[in-house]
Amino acid sequence: MADLFELAVSATASGCIYALVALAYLLILRPTSVINFAVGEWAATGAFIGVAVLTPLAWPRLEGPYWLALLAVLVILGALGWLVEVLTVRPLIRPGISITSPILCLLGMLVIFRESLTILFGADPLPSPPPFGFKRVAFGPFAGASQQFLIIGVTLSLFAVVWLFFERTVWGRAFEAVALNRRAAALMGINLRRVTAFAFAAGAMVAGLAGLLMSPLTSAHYMMGLPLAIQGFTALVIGGVGRVEGALLGGLVLAVVEQFGARYLPIPSGLTLGFPFVLLIAFLFLRPSGLIAPREAR
Amino acid sequence: MRGAGSVLTWLAAIVVASTLAFMLGGYATDVYRKMLIWVALALSYNFLFGIAGQIAFSHFAFAGVGAYGVVILAHKIGLPFVMAFALAMTLCAVLAFIVALPSTRLEGFYLALATLAFSQLVLVVISEGGELTGGTGGIANYRLPSVFGHAIRGPWYTVVLVLLVALTLWVLRRLDVSTFGRACRAVRDNPDAAAAMGVGVARTKVLAYTLTSTLAGLAGIAYAYVDNVVNPPVFGLENIFLLLFMIIVGGSGSHIGAIVGAVFLYLAPFVLEPIVGHGFLVVFGVLVVLTILFQPSGLAGLLGRLSGRRTA
Repeated sequence: MADLFELAVSATASGCIYALVALAYLLILRPTSVINFAVGEWAATGAFIGVAVLTPLAWPRLEGPYWLALLAVLVILGALGWLVEVLTVRPLIRPGISITSPILCLLGMLVIFRESLTILFGADPLPSPPPFGFKRVAFGPFAGASQQFLIIGVTLSLFAVVWLFFERTVWGRAFEAVALNRRAAALMGINLRRVTAFAFAAGAMVAGLAGLLMSPLTSAHYMMGLPLAIQGFTALVIGGVGRVEGALLGGLVLAVVEQFGARYLPIPSGLTLGFPFVLLIAFLFLRPSGLIAPREAR
Repeated sequence: MRGAGSVLTWLAAIVVASTLAFMLGGYATDVYRKMLIWVALALSYNFLFGIAGQIAFSHFAFAGVGAYGVVILAHKIGLPFVMAFALAMTLCAVLAFIVALPSTRLEGFYLALATLAFSQLVLVVISEGGELTGGTGGIANYRLPSVFGHAIRGPWYTVVLVLLVALTLWVLRRLDVSTFGRACRAVRDNPDAAAAMGVGVARTKVLAYTLTSTLAGLAGIAYAYVDNVVNPPVFGLENIFLLLFMIIVGGSGSHIGAIVGAVFLYLAPFVLEPIVGHGFLVVFGVLVVLTILFQPSGLAGLLGRLSGRRTA
């Protein structure tokens, strides 16, 4: 049984990471209809910024405190997200240009980000120190690494904040209005440019945070982005692309299926790698609105 | 392309491309052969992405199904080569049709993600196929058997690849100028208007996907005998990105663009790598972003403007 509870902690922590990446997609997808596959690379960027600030591995003589790493990730990723929006997305979101143009452009950005990380930090995985050390923590029967509990705590708090933002603030309502009808929202005096730029900056910050949080468990590696991008998107599709709480639910469902399936189902371990893809295909075809249906205009 | 002149042009191009095969050394032959495979894949992918407007990430998966299919059937099971070839092609076509039926209903980038999931599944299956697929190491140590009593070796196999490219181009150009080609473009530009004009949108999408994926399978079969090795990484995600970039940079929707883009991006690393090392991939990314932003018709559009006429 102890095994089961530990697996539950581990699956919840992974699910939270997927949920954060799904949230990064969602923040950008809702107001712009752009599926930004580069969020995985943004997470990798966050992980590497963490390593650079916290350890002397990347740049010697810099062993900064954790709050500095967090601040650096949020500031740098926010700026990068905003920059990417201004340079490559803004010129392409207008009538007469297919929505696939900015999406393809962001695939180009994905490669630019990934290869730049390789050039800056090398191709070897870099370990990242957890802020609360490597000790084990137990809450009743639920035991795990301190980092796993940190991931769960931060993710749940962030989702609560984002949920409140969308439900309770004027800015959140403006976001939602743009998501429901861009044109009508613009006519109502909502600044589309500002909402779009803010969406990209916020999406990049959330993705960077996901990378920073997961890096002590997986190391920072230049190939970490693409699998994360696929898992995050799968989580988004499972939960439903319309709602913030859907991203969280989708992430948790995906991680539970992955980890419990790999442990308890009587199939070769290699084939369990296919689970997320089976889930993605199943949801796209059978339940494209996801577990939590999007809200109708009201 | 119907007159005697165009037949001569085709023959001349095939003869020149084939003659080249007999003049190249070992390493250059390898580079040339792989370039021809890339061109063949780029041509069919251009029809799917550029002309039919479907962003699918499954092209290399079908190349993999073709390659693994023919190698397993001919060398593991021991069927006669012609039969293995026909079965591998059929397998690609049937599988593509099955994938296309539900997938092509998905809008825009959701098709990309469904096909991405499909191709990752194919990769999982061939990596975990045990004895049959050789696992992550793949299958090696086989040779192209004699076909109807003829052993095709050395530069003659390069000629086969030249003919593969010519056949792919010929088929796709015929399709492009046919009613079906116009239906594909209409569905790409405005599915509602196309449907109103009486075009069967779903049928057109499924047919375009199945045809081009089968052509990818054919290129995959040809690839299986270039190195006489098949292994999983070749058919993974990295290459589908490169293929997509070739089409974008070359000019999507244009056959010339697909050829120019494939040749350009395939050969560029040989020039760039000594200068910038692995940084050449950054250069590719920048090239793609700049193309989409400033030159959406790609190199083909650029060439067309320079020569003062529009390329189709």
